[in-house]
Amino acid sequence: MNHWLTTTDRLLRGGFTRPDDLRQGRIRAPLTALVGLGLGLGAIYGAFMGLFGILRPENPEPLQLLATTLKVPLLFLLTLVVTFPSLYVVSALANSRLRAPDTLRLLLVAVAVNLALLASFGPVTAFFTLSTESYPFMVVLNVTFFTIAGLVGLTFLRRALAHVFAPSTDLPVEAAHEASEQAAAAAPAPVAPAKRRKGSRARRIFAAWTLIYAVVGAQMGWILRPFIGDPRLPLTLFRDRQSNFFAAVLDALYALVVE
Amino acid sequence: MVAGTDALLRGEGEYAAGQARLPWPGLAMFVVLGGAVYGACMGSFAMRPLQSFYSACKVPLLLGLTTAVCLPSFFVLNTILGLRSDFRAACRGVLASQATVAVGLASLAPVAMVGYASSSDYRLAIVLNGVCFLAAALAGQCTLARHYTPLLSAEPKHHAPRALWGVLYVFVAVQLAWVLRPFVGDPALAPHFFREEAWSNAYVVVTRTVVELLGSMLPH
Repeated sequence: MNHWLTTTDRLLRGGFTRPDDLRQGRIRAPLTALVGLGLGLGAIYGAFMGLFGILRPENPEPLQLLATTLKVPLLFLLTLVVTFPSLYVVSALANSRLRAPDTLRLLLVAVAVNLALLASFGPVTAFFTLSTESYPFMVVLNVTFFTIAGLVGLTFLRRALAHVFAPSTDLPVEAAHEASEQAAAAAPAPVAPAKRRKGSRARRIFAAWTLIYAVVGAQMGWILRPFIGDPRLPLTLFRDRQSNFFAAVLDALYALVVE
Repeated sequence: MVAGTDALLRGEGEYAAGQARLPWPGLAMFVVLGGAVYGACMGSFAMRPLQSFYSACKVPLLLGLTTAVCLPSFFVLNTILGLRSDFRAACRGVLASQATVAVGLASLAPVAMVGYASSSDYRLAIVLNGVCFLAAALAGQCTLARHYTPLLSAEPKHHAPRALWGVLYVFVAVQLAWVLRPFVGDPALAPHFFREEAWSNAYVVVTRTVVELLGSMLPH
């Protein structure tokens, strides 16, 4: 237990994504620990999310808790399994310093950060589960928490990519920045454009990764549903294939206002 | 006690921003005592000692439980943003702001009592207490700002956890207040710790009320 807490703490403090390591294309984190952490943190939030299945007044289903506890970590890790090949190809095409294993480690670190923040929202979700009978409200609340956690995870990833694509130098980032500014002031041509290219490359990789992961993740969530469990429907492990994630969120917002 | 309150409100002594030690027993005492004093006055609207006792228990519970529910997310976001070394100072700020809210409420208890003595309108009593809570919350924000000023000048990234704290705290506090109602106590109803329909959702109720209101305003 203490080992996992220490690992989580190190992850959140950026111990696995030190700027010097990223600039050399290295991520010093064991794959098994990152996968274990992702599974554990996802299961914690899944348990909080699945509480609604037990505590709802209509058709309480204890199995929903178990199913959601398993599904939340699976949602993130299966999305990564599906998207990793394309994410790696995009990264390699942009001449990233990260090789395939380190690219996977970086993505796992970002997923684990996302799940850690999500797990920290667990008490808020549990509190609203205890005091709410409205299924649409719980859908909107959970989507909001997933969105916030996702945005923070993406910010973490964007910062890491900025270091991965930073100009090659032995100087720390701030010093390199100052040095490049001084060089630009003295002779503007050679340093500034190279730096801009690297920065824009990091932004392009980040945008491509975000788009691919978000679209696949949203639809993976749709495939793995139900997570909360609609009280009007019998318990099923998976629902029939129909509609898509984005249409469902709009439906939930509409139901929250109109019902 | 008076000296401690003065130090808390002025941000001096052990309650000053930047102190190494987190004076949580003192801060907890302010929340419990200040909240209980205001709660007892708040529940005295219909002159029922039982409702006063319930409200005296519930106001500190409202402040304490909301803080407890929101702290994990605050901690994790601070850590993710690389602000862990400042977490003790940030935590001191949010806890001191809670203590200030409680002290602010206690200071407004006589105002609430004068309001109760002036009118027997239940809805007016609710509005009056709402205004008192708003004023106390603003006092809490002053304390929070005092603690966050040095943090923000050293590291602007502190804006994000502070904003998260504000939004999440209000979001949870509104629902917890709804669950813990009644605080004032409708004179037409017997005193209760919880209402029978306590475990409902404030946001759903408000949304539906607004929609119904808008619906009734539209021409048929």
